[in-house]
Amino acid sequence: MASSETTRPGAVSPLGNADTDEIDLVAVQTYWQLVRRRFFRNKTAVIGLVLLSILIFSAIFFPWIGGDAWHMTNLSKGPNDPISITAPLGYDNLGINIFFRLMKALQTSLIIGFSAVLIIAVVGTTFGSISGYAGGWVDNLMMRIVDVVLSLPGFFLILMLVAFIGSVVAPMFVIIIAIGITGWTTAARLVRAEFLRLRESDFVQAAKALGASDSRIIIRHMVPSAMAPVLVAATLGIADAVSTEAALSFLGYGIRPPDASLGNMLTGAQDYFYRHPLWILYPGITLILVVLAASFLGDGLRDALDPRQKLEA
Amino acid sequence: MATYILRRLIQAIPIVVGISLISFLIVYLTPGSPVDKFRTPRVSPQTIANLIHLYGLDQPLPIQFWNWFTHFWSFPWDNLAWGYSFTDGRPVRDKIFQRIPSTLLLMGTSLVVSLVIAIPIGILQAIKQYSWADRIITTFETIGYAMPTFWLGLILKQFFAVNLNWLPLNGQNTLGKQGDIPDMIMHLILPVTTLAVVSIAGWSRYMRASMLEVMRQDYVRTARAKGLPPSRVIGRHALRNAMIPIVTLLGLTIPSLLSGAAITETVFSWPGLGWLGVTSVGDRDYPVVLAVTMIGGMMVIIGNLLADVLYAVVDPRIHY
Repeated sequence: MASSETTRPGAVSPLGNADTDEIDLVAVQTYWQLVRRRFFRNKTAVIGLVLLSILIFSAIFFPWIGGDAWHMTNLSKGPNDPISITAPLGYDNLGINIFFRLMKALQTSLIIGFSAVLIIAVVGTTFGSISGYAGGWVDNLMMRIVDVVLSLPGFFLILMLVAFIGSVVAPMFVIIIAIGITGWTTAARLVRAEFLRLRESDFVQAAKALGASDSRIIIRHMVPSAMAPVLVAATLGIADAVSTEAALSFLGYGIRPPDASLGNMLTGAQDYFYRHPLWILYPGITLILVVLAASFLGDGLRDALDPRQKLEA
Repeated sequence: MATYILRRLIQAIPIVVGISLISFLIVYLTPGSPVDKFRTPRVSPQTIANLIHLYGLDQPLPIQFWNWFTHFWSFPWDNLAWGYSFTDGRPVRDKIFQRIPSTLLLMGTSLVVSLVIAIPIGILQAIKQYSWADRIITTFETIGYAMPTFWLGLILKQFFAVNLNWLPLNGQNTLGKQGDIPDMIMHLILPVTTLAVVSIAGWSRYMRASMLEVMRQDYVRTARAKGLPPSRVIGRHALRNAMIPIVTLLGLTIPSLLSGAAITETVFSWPGLGWLGVTSVGDRDYPVVLAVTMIGGMMVIIGNLLADVLYAVVDPRIHY
């Protein structure tokens, strides 16, 4: 995106040149400048971006300064201890600092969310670009594979993979892979649609005429132009991935204690609801904030990236 | 139309084969074996070997797949078509068919409740676009949509069933009151509310968007211009066309009536297919897991077909 904004090497400042046309002095807005303007004009999008940044910062900073606090039990502390600066949400029944545990759980969720989405984006882009570029029977066959994966009951399949393999391999890794390999179909379809459109476009024809190889045309010319819908799908996908992880861990198949996850914190808090109802709210509200931030940001990006899209509100 | 449906059904065959192959491979290639739970010091290796032979696990994988896949489709007349459950030895087909009425009841009720509430909300929002009511409802929709069902279910359950003790905690009936309708309705309230809150948020968003789209059309302006009362313009002219995408979406939703809601059913121990699926994954009850996956997959295919057919039925502009 930077390349479109840099000045050409050797270009002389227009003011110092006598034969400059008036038109050269008019500021030209590049596509990305327009995108940025549209994005920052959208209030919910900015809220999403700020919220997600705060969440990411907390998920990195607090587990870092907290050290082992997220799983250290302390028999001299308990739910009745007053809250303090070092334990803003108090201690749980094992004397674990709830705030630091929550931040560690948030970290787990965000790592899973971002990694799963990365897999989705990479697999989806690769699959979609090959399918769209090749066309013909290759495209047909690849799209039937997408149909098969789309028809699989997603959550149940992830549950199966995590339950069956998660006992042998680290559950976090399995969750990331499972969400990744079941969720790439939407991204693949989006990229394929973009590629079908781009294949006929002038700049691709020009690259072909210059003798660029297929892989160069795909990687250097077409993929960057087809990334916008993938970026949107990936951002929205973070919300799905984080909720899926929470649901799995809540059901007892995902991340298990002593590892912290928003889902297993809910399972733990369930037993103490009567006396400590707030314990169930912390992980739940954190989860809602992550989902909201990702969907606000994703919707905002979609509106900003697509010039044809009408801005609502 | 008939040829279109036939063509789609033929196209579905390779997809069904693909689904069964993938679910079969996941179940059989993952570490662990269904006979693992019998491996205790008291069970001789000979017995284990006999069990492996009995379950057919010693045969080559392609043969196991072929046996399972060809046998699978005889379920309408053969109650052993899906094999025996590993946990209680009952035929899987009976076990699954027994759960279907509960799932249908739960999912059907929540779908009806959601639609009855969401469609008027969506229409109202579209008519009063950008009013304070629209903004407040939109905010609630956004939060409702972001709310994880299991969290909402948990809170509702703890609050209304444990703390206030107004409603039953879980299950479909109080013990000994099977088939008692008022008792069942009491049990339905919490899971239906949980499912409805999330889907109302979704449906009303769609309804609002669809209605706004239609209200921009020329023919709605014409209807207004010729002096029809607003209620008639909205109810007769706009609504009928705004319902087209909703009906299509309904087609996509209908299969979930059967495959159930795994998480909500588990939270409320609702004896439906979703809960059966979750527990059988935990028990490594492979025949049940496979059957549930296959039902889920086929429901998706049927749903897509249903959506396309419904689209053509409600929208005369569409021809296949």
